[in-house]
Amino acid sequence: MDTNPVSLLGSAGLWVLWILTLIAFGVFAWRIYQLVGLLRKGRYEDRFDNLPQRAVHFLKHVLIQPRIFNERSIGLPHFLIFWGFVIYATCFNWALVRGLFPLLPVPYPDEVPIVGLFLELFSVLVLVSLAVALVRRLFFAPPHLHLSVDANLILALIGILMLSTVYGSAFRVVTEGGEFNAWAPFGSLLAKAFSEATPQTAHTMIAAAWWVHIITVLFFLVYLPYSKHLHLLASPFNVFFSNAATRPVGSLNIVGAKEDMTAGASKWEELTWKQMLAGFSCAECGRCDRSCPAATSGSALEPQQIVQKIKQHFVSVGLKPPNGTPKLIGDVIPAADLWTCTTCMACMNCCAVWNEQVPIIVTLRRHLVSQGEVDRTVQDMLGSLQRYGNSFAKSDRMRAKWVQTAGLKIKDARKEPVEYLWFVGDYASYDPRCVDITAKTAKVFAQAGLDFGLLYEAERNAGNDVRRIGEEGLFEMLKEKNQQAFAKAQFKQIVTTDPHTYNTLKNEYSWNGNGVAVKHYTEVLDEQIQAGKLPLKKKLTGRVTYHDPCYLGRYNGVYDAPRRILQALGAEVVEMPRHRDKSYCCGAGGGRIWMEDAEKVKERPSESRIREAVALENVPTFVVACPKDIAMFRDAIKTTGNEGKIVVKDIAELIAEAMEG
Amino acid sequence: MNIFVLLKLVPDTVEELEIAGDGKSLEAEVLRFKQSDPDEHAVEQAILLKEKCSSKVTVVALESPEVDDALFTALAKGADRAVKLTGNLINAQSFAAAQMLANFLKPEGASLPADTLILLRGQSIDDLEGEIGPFLAELLGLPYVCVVTSVVPEGGSVTVMKEFAGGLRGEFAVPMPAVIGIQSAEKPPRYVPFAKIKAIQKTAKIETVDVTPPDSLTRFGVERMYKPEAVGRAQMLEGASEEVADKLVEVLAKNSLI
Repeated sequence: MDTNPVSLLGSAGLWVLWILTLIAFGVFAWRIYQLVGLLRKGRYEDRFDNLPQRAVHFLKHVLIQPRIFNERSIGLPHFLIFWGFVIYATCFNWALVRGLFPLLPVPYPDEVPIVGLFLELFSVLVLVSLAVALVRRLFFAPPHLHLSVDANLILALIGILMLSTVYGSAFRVVTEGGEFNAWAPFGSLLAKAFSEATPQTAHTMIAAAWWVHIITVLFFLVYLPYSKHLHLLASPFNVFFSNAATRPVGSLNIVGAKEDMTAGASKWEELTWKQMLAGFSCAECGRCDRSCPAATSGSALEPQQIVQKIKQHFVSVGLKPPNGTPKLIGDVIPAADLWTCTTCMACMNCCAVWNEQVPIIVTLRRHLVSQGEVDRTVQDMLGSLQRYGNSFAKSDRMRAKWVQTAGLKIKDARKEPVEYLWFVGDYASYDPRCVDITAKTAKVFAQAGLDFGLLYEAERNAGNDVRRIGEEGLFEMLKEKNQQAFAKAQFKQIVTTDPHTYNTLKNEYSWNGNGVAVKHYTEVLDEQIQAGKLPLKKKLTGRVTYHDPCYLGRYNGVYDAPRRILQALGAEVVEMPRHRDKSYCCGAGGGRIWMEDAEKVKERPSESRIREAVALENVPTFVVACPKDIAMFRDAIKTTGNEGKIVVKDIAELIAEAMEG
Repeated sequence: MNIFVLLKLVPDTVEELEIAGDGKSLEAEVLRFKQSDPDEHAVEQAILLKEKCSSKVTVVALESPEVDDALFTALAKGADRAVKLTGNLINAQSFAAAQMLANFLKPEGASLPADTLILLRGQSIDDLEGEIGPFLAELLGLPYVCVVTSVVPEGGSVTVMKEFAGGLRGEFAVPMPAVIGIQSAEKPPRYVPFAKIKAIQKTAKIETVDVTPPDSLTRFGVERMYKPEAVGRAQMLEGASEEVADKLVEVLAKNSLI
């Protein structure tokens, strides 16, 4: 379509197009300049490592978007709308440039038959997808989906773009005589409805469709960076720069920080640019909220809202500082919300734009801790860790008392070299509900022929949960003490039963290239069984279900080892509906185990989990692989009145049973 | 106001206490020290007062193992100055400690400023009588109130709340300078993040002041120190809960308790 001869309100089309284009791109560029300026005020962190690996991550998660498909109803529609966008955006720019420079010796995209066909095909696919999206929003909205006018307006705008394309095509077919054109199948179909239109009218309608399309896109361009559709621009960067692209998700280390991050953030400028980019990338889909055990159990915490509120705050305050700026923590985000997070990683695991909600929450918690604003119970625990290096307020000299009590002899890794250093952890060492299991685990290790030893009283809490509470300085202290103890011991690998300990030792301690492998006991015992080194005397029978600990599964991807062990023992593993990376948190993580419940708890996560297990048919055993789970789920069985229906067993207890014969 | 908080460390009972070979003291080898709870409350009360009305808070302690940590922690919480009294002070009992503290607070010939408030523990696990407070007040010639749970400054005096047995409470107006024995602060002691303590350790200094020990550090000698001895008066009630309840009633009745 030639813009030159067209007259719009008495002005030449070409001039109108130039003016509209300059205005739209100008406003768009100004807004983007503002938003990027805000990001630049955030703290620096280095997300520029290993660019090829980041590119691969980008290609997979931006172009194919497997995470979008984790919700079936909207997965394919979103995928089609996205690809429709890519094709339409390309053709729009092509058409615009051609329109702005009429002398260019290239045709318009829709004048190229194959391109026209693609545009038509996608317009129909996108229209159907839009209908699905709209119906979902209007009638089947899942909880926590942000139902905004914004979202509906965007659907409508995309709809106009698609319809203008098909209408333009239809009238072009009319001008060509109305014959069916295989390159324009839907245009041809629609053309039948306008077969009586005069060529003159048809030409006008083609021009009208073209202008409607172009003006809608230009309006969209201006509107986009003010709407939730900003995710379309920001999320590809967000995915590219995501931590998970190149680093373990279980690490809270901030690479390349130029400031001291210990005290967290009390103001938006103290967040990192990447943490701020999360707000621009969020599509308000609510996946994180739906997966969040805190939100599900009735807490006010919604991971989506944390990200959204921070964005709204820094965009409004950052661009136009009002009098009496609201406080980021307190006014914008209530402190109580931050404390209900169990850091279970469910939100980050399902976020389609790869936002990192947990590190943001920890950053804000760090500020609260720096001001001494912690629960009484947490304060006592932190005090105990400062003084005794464990969360039980017991003497560090009593850490290995369980060895004595059980009458065992275990090597001291500080005195003689061992293959495996067993980092026992606080719960397994001190909790009266766990020490018997710890002793059984020791016997299993011994019978499996493992050469292992302990650090005895030199071991300190590894600091995983301390760090997630936000007590960064204390974490550093504990890490330092442990590293001093490691330096005095001789070992090749580390084994632990506690997934929390496992996570921080594996991902947050630096081993300076010493080649120390950190393993969970399920991994080690699985290896031993595979190698035929575990003398199993009898086959267990019966059905069991297995609970994936957050810090083992979602954090570190260990799903198969425990299941293989259970199968080797002869047990039939029956999966709960929420299993593997959809596993439901027990509620203990991120320091929650030391906090009181808020008053209005609908259903504690651990109770929800036990009810889920009890609903399985004929499954009397609930297998765990985490000392905290023993405490949490044995409690939950009592509080839900399910005693006698199901028992919680550590996987080591089952192995011990099978070894006894 | 010019606030002094006097700190002392006590044996940490989380560790197992052992009697030393002499049978008269605790085995120093296994002994660890920690700040006593009432001391933490005294510091908290001082910081709360500082936040309410501008004050200078000085924490003072006699030299002893691990005392630096306690002084740095107090600085991290907001104290302005930390002083450690040094000298040959081992085994100083309450009266000797009070003499040395009094000498530091009011050197001979000097006088205490009128806005001075001295806060210290009402008691501690190794001084349940809480004798150091009265000793010190007497030596300085100041008024003393203890078992105090709140301190409100009002002009040249402070209004304090003192707890009595049986839930009774009394409000006292105490003219300053004064010595106050703290039972608990108005708010639970605050948490001070570890990084803050580390930072203070790098930037702040503990002043040391040499003191001349009094002629006698001790006023009394310990004859014998021993762990609680079992006397065999415990009676275990066994059986089903109903039976146990019946037996319990019987025992209580027999001893005229019901």
